[in-house]
Amino acid sequence: MSGLRTALASGTRQVGAFSWFVLDFTRAALRYGPPRGQVMREAWRIGIASLPILLTISAFVGTNLALQGFNAFRPLGGGRLVGMFVSLAGVRELAPMIAAAMVAAKAGTEMASQIAVMRIGEQVDALEVMAVNPYAYLVTPRLLGILLVLPALTIISIFFMVLSGYLVSVHQLGLNGSVFLHFASQGIAAVDFLYGALKAMYFGLVICTVSCFFGFTCQRGPEGVGQATNRAVVVSAVVCVCSNYFISEILYGGLS
Amino acid sequence: MSHQAAPDLWVDATSPLRALGRISTFAGRIAIRTVRPPWHGHLVLESLWTTTIRCVVPVIAVCAPFGMVMSLQGLEIFRIFGAQRLLSSLVSVAILRELAPVMASVLVAAQGGSSCTAELATMRIKEELDATEVMAVDSIQYHVVPRFLALTLACPLLYVAGAAAGIAGGFATAVWVKGETAGVYLSELWTLTGPADVWGGVAKTLIFGAIIGLVACYHGFHARGGAAGVGRAVNDTVVHSVVAFIIANYFLTSAFFGGQTL
Amino acid sequence: MSDSRPTIELLDVHKRFGDLVVLDGIDLAIPPGETTAIIGPSGTGKSVLLKHIVGLLQPDSGRVCCFGTDLTTATERQLYAVRQRFGMLFQGGALFDSMSVGENVAFPLEQHSKLSPAKVRQRVEEKLDLVGLPDTWDRAVSQLSGGQRKRVGLARAIVTDPEVVLFDEPTSGLDPLTSDQIDRLILTMKAHLGVTFVVISHDIVGTVRIADHIAMLHEGKLVAWDRTPAFLRSEIPIVRAFLQRNLVLPSGPDDVATLPSFG
Repeated sequence: MSGLRTALASGTRQVGAFSWFVLDFTRAALRYGPPRGQVMREAWRIGIASLPILLTISAFVGTNLALQGFNAFRPLGGGRLVGMFVSLAGVRELAPMIAAAMVAAKAGTEMASQIAVMRIGEQVDALEVMAVNPYAYLVTPRLLGILLVLPALTIISIFFMVLSGYLVSVHQLGLNGSVFLHFASQGIAAVDFLYGALKAMYFGLVICTVSCFFGFTCQRGPEGVGQATNRAVVVSAVVCVCSNYFISEILYGGLS
Repeated sequence: MSHQAAPDLWVDATSPLRALGRISTFAGRIAIRTVRPPWHGHLVLESLWTTTIRCVVPVIAVCAPFGMVMSLQGLEIFRIFGAQRLLSSLVSVAILRELAPVMASVLVAAQGGSSCTAELATMRIKEELDATEVMAVDSIQYHVVPRFLALTLACPLLYVAGAAAGIAGGFATAVWVKGETAGVYLSELWTLTGPADVWGGVAKTLIFGAIIGLVACYHGFHARGGAAGVGRAVNDTVVHSVVAFIIANYFLTSAFFGGQTL
Repeated sequence: MSDSRPTIELLDVHKRFGDLVVLDGIDLAIPPGETTAIIGPSGTGKSVLLKHIVGLLQPDSGRVCCFGTDLTTATERQLYAVRQRFGMLFQGGALFDSMSVGENVAFPLEQHSKLSPAKVRQRVEEKLDLVGLPDTWDRAVSQLSGGQRKRVGLARAIVTDPEVVLFDEPTSGLDPLTSDQIDRLILTMKAHLGVTFVVISHDIVGTVRIADHIAMLHEGKLVAWDRTPAFLRSEIPIVRAFLQRNLVLPSGPDDVATLPSFG
């Protein structure tokens, strides 16, 4: 019980510290602007780093969507609906969330551990001493980079999911390809891409601020870096998934 | 930094193959020491307890919203066909067979796997593993095997917790937010699914857990390069184990649930 | 620079971390154009003191004035303006691993000066020459030894020609020969640049060689503070004990050098 209480207390402290971090960062970002040439570099790095695993995971999520959708609908005589199931689930929920999870796992942990290493190696202090605001220098380009790249990754993820769902449906489940595509296109509206991109940008904001926060507040020593990296991915994933429900509720819940 | 981007991609692309050889050797070393005495049962239980406690909140915090979203989006579709009563059976199919195994394992990888890597990597960097060996204690048997077993066993436990949370989340949205009837949701819950699906999920997550445990211990045990090395190891653990079990998931799903459709 | 008002002034500075009192009423004035060394055993808050001087830490009470600006009340803009007149060598060099040696040294110039890239390059080469590492622009930081890292850190600290250069344990963790090199480097720069140096150290041999003033920190207080020759004749027991322990082992005790000196 006392363990729970200390956990709650330290959680509350972390939330407080995080709020200060966001405040400090916002002030610095507005005042100093991003360092020259860094934003595109970060966007490129985040995109390239996360792309291979994102493609792999999206493809295999697509295959399983098709398998399970077929299993679920077939007894009801709705095996043909698989295409719609894949595209709808993929576009609205899974693609944004999987892109976010993979970017959190790959690029987010990288941000956390890079900044943590800079923190314990006094490189963050060195920036301060050289009169360079560390938030503006380290966080702003990463944030802008992730905001640029995550929507694009989400769209790519949608494409791969539907593609692999199509391949499984046609070649493994023996469905008609054009029926699949017909129902798949019924599941997607153009506005869904916009919503997906908006979700992705929100997730990017969460991942970047959370990961950088844990990097900046890293404890000394190698265990500190490990802990910062670990917390970065868990907290950003949990926050993304939890807030996703409310975003979906706002975007899709009221439409019926 | 920029000049590393291209080789990184190449290394990323080929390293799985080369790593596969090394990781199999490592798996063999773990396997031998798992069956050979001395057994450190209390360490396994201790590690299982900490891993489960560490992961249970994140797993539930992720699985419950997934169930809620399923309800939300599922109702959208089913209302078009007037087939709302199918909702809970669909939610339970998706949660029990796919989402709970995968999401619980993702979170076990992110939380349990990465802390396991961080601990082992820190011990490696601080030469604690070498010290263990110098004291004539097998460092794999003492430090690695308990963690590996703990992750393997924690995964199914957390799957059950996550599945319950997901189905409850679906119930919450359907009944409390969207005003469907509780009775229908509960009575339809098991029309498409049965205990076999739960056991299928347990079997899946046991395998996912072993993958996570193996990858986590491998990266932790072979960490080098100071504090930055610990960060790198943790990063690799999360990414590699998730990719590995998502791929495994496709084949397992085909085997467990897809077989009868072929 | 010509007036004799102290460049840096600490007035009754107190600092604690939790229950641990680190600085317990420090008064210190650092004269311009000379070298002041702050010595003391590990864990007495020397690094903390240095971090107060550059405003990385704020005191719980008391004032820290640099160039007439009170850092405890300064806005961020004023603080950054003051810091541009400082250079600092960190304990481990604090070089950015993601950049080459040259990019590291060029960093402050690129951030704060309007110099052309060619000019920047020339300035950087000049400073790298000065620290004895010519033609290392493209070298990766990871390929440097501990001593080389410190020398690159030093080049970065002086590349903007600052008015004050701070050293956090310039020779800790280095072998005696490299320590010697670094000490000589500091002396050369002193002759060349004529700037104010503040050195934190527990290496008494090196300190005596380079410092004009020595202050000794013990349990959060300044127990002695004098010109170097007078300091060495000090009769205060704790100072005597510290000097003797260190002078018996002229190369600088390695066991102390490897201990963490933070807090």
